[in-house]
Amino acid sequence: MRHEKLRYGLLSGVLLLIALVVFMLAGLANGLSNGNRQAIDNWQATDVYLAQNANETLSASQVKLADQSLIKGDQTAPLATLSGTLRTAKNAHKTTVSALATTRNSFIMPKIVSGHRINGQNQLLISESLTTDGYKLGQTVRLGTTTKTVKIVGTYASSTYMISPTVYTDIATLNRLKAMPVTSGKQQTVNGFVTKNGQFKTSDHGSLQRLTMATFINKLPGYSAEQLTLNTMIYFLFAIALAIIGIFMFVLTLQKQALFGVLKVQGIGTNHILAALLTQSIAMALIGIVIGLGITVGLAQIMPAGLPFAINWGQFGLYGLALLAAAVVGALLSWRTVANIDPAVAIG
Amino acid sequence: MTAVLALQQINKQFGHGHTAVTALKDANFEVSAGQFVAIIGPSGSGKSTFLTIAAGLQTPTSGQVLLNGTELATQSEKARLAYRFNEIGFILQSSNLIPFLTVTEQLKLVDKMAKRSFQAKRAQTLLAELALTEVATAYPNELSGGERQRVAIVRALYNDPSVILADEPTASLDTPRSIDVVERLAKEAHQHHKAIVMVTHDQRLIGNCDVVYKIEDGVMTKQ
Repeated sequence: MRHEKLRYGLLSGVLLLIALVVFMLAGLANGLSNGNRQAIDNWQATDVYLAQNANETLSASQVKLADQSLIKGDQTAPLATLSGTLRTAKNAHKTTVSALATTRNSFIMPKIVSGHRINGQNQLLISESLTTDGYKLGQTVRLGTTTKTVKIVGTYASSTYMISPTVYTDIATLNRLKAMPVTSGKQQTVNGFVTKNGQFKTSDHGSLQRLTMATFINKLPGYSAEQLTLNTMIYFLFAIALAIIGIFMFVLTLQKQALFGVLKVQGIGTNHILAALLTQSIAMALIGIVIGLGITVGLAQIMPAGLPFAINWGQFGLYGLALLAAAVVGALLSWRTVANIDPAVAIG
Repeated sequence: MTAVLALQQINKQFGHGHTAVTALKDANFEVSAGQFVAIIGPSGSGKSTFLTIAAGLQTPTSGQVLLNGTELATQSEKARLAYRFNEIGFILQSSNLIPFLTVTEQLKLVDKMAKRSFQAKRAQTLLAELALTEVATAYPNELSGGERQRVAIVRALYNDPSVILADEPTASLDTPRSIDVVERLAKEAHQHHKAIVMVTHDQRLIGNCDVVYKIEDGVMTKQ
């Protein structure tokens, strides 16, 4: 390999670029995925109940708080959402947020990092990330289109939903902010319910429909389209890596046919030659993957904060292994060619 | 003396029926340890066929190839591979060296294939014997043609085979270098008690040989 630095360097370089794109795409896919579902993942819930006619979309679903009686589960919480603008009283700061509302002691209420839990009306918890945008405890803010105000009483570890930072409040407060006609009692409107290991109590489902968390997440607007696009690109890159390595090793084998013939005459068999090809291929792939990963991690440090990018080491490891597997398979594609080299051609 | 390599009643035909070509006809051949044997004949006479059969790279149509008394043709592909590696050293027309390994590394590779550690002393002795000490760290493309063939001789001897097969080892060399290489082959055969078989078309080189076989149109005759 030392003697053909340029050739092997080029292949390693191409693999580096492929690995870089794979890791960047994977990071973006992760980042976007997190942006969409981080809050949901934090709930650790197993299923969601929405109105049957809501087309499995939370924001389109309207049910009554009283419908909770149809469901039983280890834990059950009503959920209402409002995607709107959070602003300070004098409009000094404006941020698009995903407001989530549930009961004050519900299992999906996030754990407080500073301040206190919601213990009265018109109180709001904000994602910690919003404090860097100028929001702070004790501040009076408006949310949505009404002139009604709420007070920030606590923060929790940052989370996002639908690519926006989350804020949490109780259901009555959110319904007031939405200017809903009913803002107290069991007849209030909510978007749905989430449970841990829940199910319908009887065959009477009312107007409700049960979704698993996985289905619910896939039905988030744009979520599956986004993930499918990025993942398809990644899978194609694996195929491209396989093709490039396969072709390179094949050309290399053809070029070295005479040499391999001589080796075979001397009693160095197909297996030894293939082992050498494999070692070279894996070494080149490893160099490319490791440098590609290094550059990805480096780029992640200097990326603008607005770019959704998240490193999932387990997944990166898996993709690295997949690229390595492409190198192994690519090298093995030359197996027939090596096996078919007739050592007799080296003589005469 | 018992023969290290013996070919008995070898026939080799290519093709069938009207197009059949007989490359070797009832060829008999043997070489003993310490003997330097030349096989001489014009191109197309069956020299290469003889060599590939002797090395177990091709099976004869009929007849026996005995290497140290063992029939080669009936062995499995794998066993023949091992035989070639352990018992036969090769010196081929042009260089049979690996272009991206230095002279010493060529020898190290042999040890690696044989799964043993590098025999530094043996390498040193052999390289000195063939006046190659100074180019031990050079790559094949940095050597002259004569040096390359001498490295090939070292490489063939290094693994301590029973027999060395040399296929036109002087094809790419001028006369003085050819004579030098052949003289060295003769010396190694006698000094190391090796059986060396050289195939050539060059009449001038057979002066140093103990036995000469002539081959013409597939018929081998001992001179």
